[in-house]
Amino acid sequence: MALIFIRTAIIFITLLFVMRLMGKSQIGEMQPFEFVITLLIAELACIPMADTTIPLLYGIVAIVAIFILHQVVMLLDMKCSPVKAVICGRPSLVITKDGLDEYQLKKNNLDVSDLIESMRAAGYFNLDDVYYGLYEANGSFSALPKENVTPSLAVTLIDGGKINKHNLQVCKITYSDVENFLKEQNVKLKKVLVMTVDGNGRVYFQQRGKAYKILQMKLGETW
Amino acid sequence: MVRSVWITAAALALCVALFVFTDFYIKKQLDEFNIAVTALYEKTEEGNVTTADGEAVRIMWRNKKSRLQAFVPHNDISYIDYWLNEACSFIKTGKYDLALGNLEVVKEIAINLPAGYAIKIENIF
Repeated sequence: MALIFIRTAIIFITLLFVMRLMGKSQIGEMQPFEFVITLLIAELACIPMADTTIPLLYGIVAIVAIFILHQVVMLLDMKCSPVKAVICGRPSLVITKDGLDEYQLKKNNLDVSDLIESMRAAGYFNLDDVYYGLYEANGSFSALPKENVTPSLAVTLIDGGKINKHNLQVCKITYSDVENFLKEQNVKLKKVLVMTVDGNGRVYFQQRGKAYKILQMKLGETW
Repeated sequence: MVRSVWITAAALALCVALFVFTDFYIKKQLDEFNIAVTALYEKTEEGNVTTADGEAVRIMWRNKKSRLQAFVPHNDISYIDYWLNEACSFIKTGKYDLALGNLEVVKEIAINLPAGYAIKIENIF
């Protein structure tokens, strides 16, 4: 029985560690340890229930072990903030006044398109609609919005140094239009962290390691 | 908060009590069974074993089995069932040398089974 308890604790800690390493993209509205418990508890309940050769007590002990570990983590969470940071993680500031923080995105295994998706879900359709944007420890996105939000839909043309060809077609912009725009800015494609454009030709442009700029691009037709 | 700590401590204490009880109980039951099997083995070795002796050990095992099944996976218990039944069958037909082999296996399982659930690195991983 004690063996089952120890094995459950080891699996719990391993899963918690792995979930923390995976970053916020894998969690989704739950604390990492809550997510681990959700993963484990169903299996723990099912196996002894379905397999009659395993005593039911094994499942009960494993579930009680999970309960005790949950309580211990909760207590550490409330009483000790350095431990809380290790177990639950810290919020990550991914949008600052200078634009996107690529380091923080990478640290959480996220890319620009994930961030744009989170922003859209939160009701912001342009990257410069917020002063600050951050991913909470539970993976949810929070933002401090600007007073005046741009009433347009921005489409990503360059994401992490790569041109999104599908979006070029959607916006009716050619590859050479983008190349010419980059030449005007005297920037190589690989150096561009993100470039979005809306229907009025308003461009959000950010080079890697630099602050973002709002520029204008000539469009054949607006949308 | 205080209630939560108490519940956690109570759950932990119950678990520890269960672990100690289970460990002690499994060992005790299998030790008793092992003594009976050893006696049967010695009688078989001497050649004065009877069918009733084998049956007595079998009945003893059946009683213990029904209680052990709450703590030990049933597959482990069925190994003892298999070897003990075969040994009793050999005793019935007078094939004592074959019965000795089977009883040896039963004894080994009874000795080693509790060790399989002990807190050891090889058992944990």
